Amino acid sequence: MPFFTEAPAEAVATTGSSLDQLLVIALLALPLAGFGLTALVGRRLGARAWIIAVPAIIVVWLAALYLIYQTLIVGAFGDAGMHFRLYEWIPAGDFHVDVNFAVDALTAVMLIVVTTVGMLVHVYSIGYMAHDPGRWRFFAYLNFFMFSMLLLVLADNFLLLFVAWELVGLSSYLLIGFWYRRRSAALAAKKAFIVNRVGDLGFGLGIMAIWTTVGSLDFGEVFTRLPGQLESGAIQPWMMIGICLLLFAGAMGKSAQFPLHVWLPDAMEGPTPVSALIHAATMVNAGVYLVARANPLFAQAPEALFIVAAVGIFTCILAASIALTQKDIKRVLAYSTLSQLGYMFAALGVGAFVPAIFHLVTHGFFKGLLFLGSGSVIHAVHDEQDMDRMGGLWRRIGITHATMLVGSLAIVGIPPLAGFFSKDEILGESFKLGFVWVWAIGIVVALMTAFYMFRLMGKTFYGPSNVDPHTEPRIHESPRSMTVPLILLAVPSALIGLALGLPPENGTIHHWLEPVFRPLDEALHHGAADYQILGIDGFLLGASVAVAAVGMIVAWRLFGFFRLGPRPALVSSVTGRLRGPYVFSLRKWYFDELNDLLFVRIGGVVARGLWWFDVHVIDGAVNGVASLTQGTGRGLRLVQTGRVQNYALGIAAGLLVVAVGYLIVAR
Amino acid sequence: MDLTGLPLLTGVIFTPLIGALLIAFVPREREALTRWLALGTALVTFAISLLLLPGFDPAATGFQYVETADWIPAFGIQYKLGLDGISLVLVVLTTTLSWISILASFGPIKSRLKEFMISFLILEVGMIGVFLALDLFLFYIFWEVVLVPMYLIIGIWGGANRIYATLKFVLYTLIGSLLMLVAILAAAFSFQAATGSWAGAFDFEQLRGFGFDPTLQFLAFGAFFLAFAIKVPMFPFHTWLPDAHVEAPTAGSVILAGVLLKLGGYGFIRFCLPLFPQAAHEWAPLIIVLSLIAIIYGAIVAMVQPDLKKLVAYSSVSHMGFVTLGIFIFQPQGMQGAILQMVNHGIITGALFLCVGVIYERTHDRTIAKMGGLAAPTPVYAAIFGFFMLASLGLPGLGGFVGEFLVFLGTFDYSPIAAAIASIVVILGAAYLMWMYQRVVFGELSDFLKGLGHHLTDVTPQELVTLTPLIALTLAFGVAPGLILDLIQMPVGEVLARVGGPLTGAAP
Repeated sequence: MPFFTEAPAEAVATTGSSLDQLLVIALLALPLAGFGLTALVGRRLGARAWIIAVPAIIVVWLAALYLIYQTLIVGAFGDAGMHFRLYEWIPAGDFHVDVNFAVDALTAVMLIVVTTVGMLVHVYSIGYMAHDPGRWRFFAYLNFFMFSMLLLVLADNFLLLFVAWELVGLSSYLLIGFWYRRRSAALAAKKAFIVNRVGDLGFGLGIMAIWTTVGSLDFGEVFTRLPGQLESGAIQPWMMIGICLLLFAGAMGKSAQFPLHVWLPDAMEGPTPVSALIHAATMVNAGVYLVARANPLFAQAPEALFIVAAVGIFTCILAASIALTQKDIKRVLAYSTLSQLGYMFAALGVGAFVPAIFHLVTHGFFKGLLFLGSGSVIHAVHDEQDMDRMGGLWRRIGITHATMLVGSLAIVGIPPLAGFFSKDEILGESFKLGFVWVWAIGIVVALMTAFYMFRLMGKTFYGPSNVDPHTEPRIHESPRSMTVPLILLAVPSALIGLALGLPPENGTIHHWLEPVFRPLDEALHHGAADYQILGIDGFLLGASVAVAAVGMIVAWRLFGFFRLGPRPALVSSVTGRLRGPYVFSLRKWYFDELNDLLFVRIGGVVARGLWWFDVHVIDGAVNGVASLTQGTGRGLRLVQTGRVQNYALGIAAGLLVVAVGYLIVAR
Repeated sequence: MDLTGLPLLTGVIFTPLIGALLIAFVPREREALTRWLALGTALVTFAISLLLLPGFDPAATGFQYVETADWIPAFGIQYKLGLDGISLVLVVLTTTLSWISILASFGPIKSRLKEFMISFLILEVGMIGVFLALDLFLFYIFWEVVLVPMYLIIGIWGGANRIYATLKFVLYTLIGSLLMLVAILAAAFSFQAATGSWAGAFDFEQLRGFGFDPTLQFLAFGAFFLAFAIKVPMFPFHTWLPDAHVEAPTAGSVILAGVLLKLGGYGFIRFCLPLFPQAAHEWAPLIIVLSLIAIIYGAIVAMVQPDLKKLVAYSSVSHMGFVTLGIFIFQPQGMQGAILQMVNHGIITGALFLCVGVIYERTHDRTIAKMGGLAAPTPVYAAIFGFFMLASLGLPGLGGFVGEFLVFLGTFDYSPIAAAIASIVVILGAAYLMWMYQRVVFGELSDFLKGLGHHLTDVTPQELVTLTPLIALTLAFGVAPGLILDLIQMPVGEVLARVGGPLTGAAP
């Protein structure tokens, strides 16, 4: 039995005014209602299927802005944030779980990204999905995703977080498989869900372990009880490591870290707004959020954090190496997302939690922008995704080009754009906290990032046009519902780093998040050394900007930049000389082939073998007994009347004799 | 309205019998009357079962609504009924699925309609009786009453290989139940020998406090175990189930999966544990291992089934493994989860069989390989089928999740390794269900289905009436599992108090 005494449910602290609570409920209720209504009547709305879903999310965005303002600017809820309970969800003896919500600084920061990008993607989708007959389904699913994602960041206990965790997985399944007629889409949807379930298995076990050791699942209670229980020895350090690694398994699934990264590139089968919202800006961050949320647990398990760092930085370079050679514009961005998520986990692992969340925010904006931009490109060239069949588009789709250029410079880390500040903090802190190997790999990835992004820009926008001649004259800029969100995303992609990240390592975002990560800072004891722009920090900064510049320039020279033409001959001579690594990267390190062999082929053989066993051995035994009886029966034909009822009577009589006999013997 | 004076339990058990008798007098050609009479009876029974809810006190210990009458006084055999929260939820599950199944048979059953409806109503008598009987002899009678109508339902209205399937079902179940009869008699004899009187020798409330001799406990438990394990069905006694499901008509499958399998789980909780607590501890490790095998094995074998019904049947083996696992770890969350899982499995798997029935009505086929692309011509159907597919794989927010999670949680408390093994099913379950769904619903419309032309219609209003209540219940029990958990809290505590708490000598 677990070691704990249960506080009565009424003792749960409730904070926040009723208006604030109402707004939190509205954040969840509006998208849910939007989903329900659109699913029921959306088909009859025809081209205006967005009429319920999009306004619902705009209201959600406004409500979220108010809550963010209250939490981060006014500080109305104090350091602990606002907490309240809706009802008791699972009452099972000494195990009970509430439906309760919290808004603290971490949730508020997540809300900035989720609701802003969510709202802009909804608006963008009006134009993007205008010609798809299934648009009502699309908007219904998109609202359902918003509900799940908001539940994920608002949940105040592990199990409710897990519910939301699986529900975002479901939304992702539905949206990846949106074009269900396409076999590849259906397969990708299934793959995403199942691979995520592998991680969820760990997450689920982690939750059980938390309950059996700590005796609660509420974030507040778990985090406050833990230190005492560790001190008293009720919880051993190895248990903490185990729990943290199990939680991290969940994070690896949702945030697509090696070896569970295989679902994310395939998820690009979904419509592009989905890729931007779910598979770049919000849902894939859930793993980072989970680790950040559970920072008081991870603070007690440095060994687990080491593994987080190792997995993160490995995924970071693995994905970047694949992104170098992909031809599909969305796949490049997908691998880039994996790689950037790797940065975030590496940051978490070295103990730089604020930079990890900072990068989550900036990445949410610039990667959302890049994906929506790629959608606009795909739209312009009539559903072509192969970059070998693009080129020279910068004159034709100027707004898309300009905004994507901002996004590219942001991800590459050119000051003063957003990515520069957050990435530099990650690399700088890794170095200064003694994880030089993380920094070294991170710098190499920064070089690769600059290269693959400007390879993408070069192949798409600059260089000569390889667009299909039939499509060429019909290339057109996207409608305003699509370009306006691009512009609106370009603004934070350019400026949010300046706004939140100055001065470096001590910017606004650090002040916001400091209370949330206080347990971690106390446990890991890293005091904030002064930032020395003329010392080590300046050197690190210079190094990362320098490699970014080198990567960009090399890519420009190879793939073209405005009047500077591409050099295809040089590219093919390089790939020719590096045939092995090139193919290895192009084939994505053969992970899909390996999984196919392990799970589809070998797994299939095992399953078929067991079925054979079931039919021939287990059932064979049953039928064998039956035919044995039948054979004996033939011999004893004289006593056989052919009625089941008589057999039953015979069996009953026989057993009675046995029973009575037993009782006589037993006496 | 004061209902305390009325014999509600007798009412809920025998109302279907009255309906069956009435139908017997309806002329054969008046099929519509037969149908509506059967449905009306089932709905009245359902209403009576709901009447039990307001007067039920979840905080009270022991049995409520108890009715006693002497039956065979010479042996102390009584007509004794009573219910606690566990019986209550299972009775309401039974009455709910019964009217739904009868409504679902309106179209598919074309021959011998009268006999079908009579069989079905008698089946309902037996099922409800099993959940309410507090006298072991009476319990045994109801247990066997269930068998006969099911034998007929599969044997007469079943598919091509129905005779093999139904004989297998009956003989298999009969072997188990006859051994159970022996055990019941042995227990009664032993009680009589100790007390010198037959009074109360079959009375469950008397026997459960009796404390049988360890050897008798061990053997009697074994006999009960066999009966219940075959019914659940536990690995390796499960091979009758896929055959029975494949041959049974839709309504038969719904009741088979929805209620009949639960008789086994109920029997374990109600009789095996309180009567033979010591033996339960001795047998538990074996049963836990068999449950773990069932959970994983059922899911793996489900993966490669070519027939939709067989797939759902093997998924039942896997899901019911949770029920036996949750019961035999002797831990409060585990047992509450097991009961919750019984109810939700009944609803969800019942609904999945209804969904398979919808396809079968239109195609007269259940081969997964011939299906494909149903989402376009039948979007409502695809949505409902998808809903239950997700519920079956344990999506949080829907019914299946909480029960499964509580069993996992209890198991983790008992042995983290056992929990880790069992939880592999969350991957396997997603794999076989989503793969099935992908092959049936996604993709381009298959040539086989194209050939059906305009016969391939979306769900009819009547089918919607059968499926909608199950959707509502699946959502309700996912969002508010307290509706059930509050009812079963007290009886689970009582059973565990008798069996003596968590397993001792827990595995690592």
